[in-house]
Amino acid sequence: MEIRLENVWFTYDGSSYVLKNVNLEFANPGLYILMGPNGSGKTTLLKIISLLFKPTKGRVLIDNADFWNMIEKDKQEVRSRIAYVRDKPILVRGTARYNLELGLKLRNNVEVDKSLINNLVKRYMLEDLLSKPASKLSSGQAKIITILRALILNPRILALDEPFTFLDNTRTMLLIQDLAKLVDNGSIIIIATHYMHRDLRTRAKQITELVNGEIIHT
Amino acid sequence: MTESILTVTIRSIYVSSIAALIAFLSSLALNAAFSRMSRKYVEVISGVFEALVGVPTTVIGLLVYMLFFPGGPLGTLKLLYTPHAIIIGEFLVALPMVYTYMFRHYYAMRDTIRELVLSLGCPEKKAFKLLLRELTPILLSAYFVSFSRAMGELGVALIVGGGIEGYTNVLTTAIALQTSIGNYEYAIQLGAILVSITIMLIVTMKILGERVLWRLD
Repeated sequence: MEIRLENVWFTYDGSSYVLKNVNLEFANPGLYILMGPNGSGKTTLLKIISLLFKPTKGRVLIDNADFWNMIEKDKQEVRSRIAYVRDKPILVRGTARYNLELGLKLRNNVEVDKSLINNLVKRYMLEDLLSKPASKLSSGQAKIITILRALILNPRILALDEPFTFLDNTRTMLLIQDLAKLVDNGSIIIIATHYMHRDLRTRAKQITELVNGEIIHT
Repeated sequence: MTESILTVTIRSIYVSSIAALIAFLSSLALNAAFSRMSRKYVEVISGVFEALVGVPTTVIGLLVYMLFFPGGPLGTLKLLYTPHAIIIGEFLVALPMVYTYMFRHYYAMRDTIRELVLSLGCPEKKAFKLLLRELTPILLSAYFVSFSRAMGELGVALIVGGGIEGYTNVLTTAIALQTSIGNYEYAIQLGAILVSITIMLIVTMKILGERVLWRLD
């Protein structure tokens, strides 16, 4: 699966553009980093890549087909292979476990791979959290639950917005290792961050710098 | 007063709960219908509803009275001084408040849930079901807000109900009547019942919210 942005512009208010003529390609499995200061347009770009926002101008090509011109069924097929985790975690009512399995439940995937979930829960030391109401989780706990919720779906493209905020060092290292494994299995991981972890830099396939909605360096 | 406090209380609860239910369902339908409109227009409509929250209940009572007055446009329905007229009036009193309450939460949550569902690679149609699930405490709370508002108002009940003993007398009209004839002890008892019902509702809502609704699995 490859994704290409062609001459993408985006505006929220119809006048000032937060993205200006962005051209980007994610053709092969790998870890892609989007860097830039606050307000540079990273989150908006990530949401366009994740097919949550439609560009005001320009095209988003999935395997050379314009996504926003696809029929609804095809759009859904493409979306089912993409996951996005935003910087501020979204948790719904229910326990941490309910939230962890939410993606699978929404997809009516009744055959939840319990061993995969249990392994991840153990690995990230979340056993004691699972029965806790989501509203009682700390920022870091909520963050890791939302990231794992996306990882469980085994997406072909995973977009993560500031994934390391609120995470402790141990979980940051574990997450980088797991993202690397996902890449080895053929996934494209796109991370928007303004904090470049050393391990992340060494593993990155491409680092793109965004300033004021424009790509200044790839 | 010839009728018992219990009868007046039951009548109050009956009238207010039906008025609140109609206001609640109407608000739900209005929010769902308006959600398809442009946000700009919805904000204007909601501004109107917010302004209507402040309209005195006596004015609403007067409006309903004029509608159902024998010479009024709906006079032939002969609803004036019946519990039905109070229900209609209380519905109009509660509607702006419950609509506004629901609107704020509905819009705040709708976009977030939509984003969550799409970000997990699921079809957008799944968002509505999840949104309803998320909104359950808010919807319950909206109903109770609506009920409290209907239960505590006097203007409508007095103007279009007339406080007829054994027929349209509700807690608020009974309090007004007993106070006017100097039966303060009785009026205070009625007032205490009215306040107790409201407090019980708030406590129930809080317990439901904290112990049950947020712990769904």
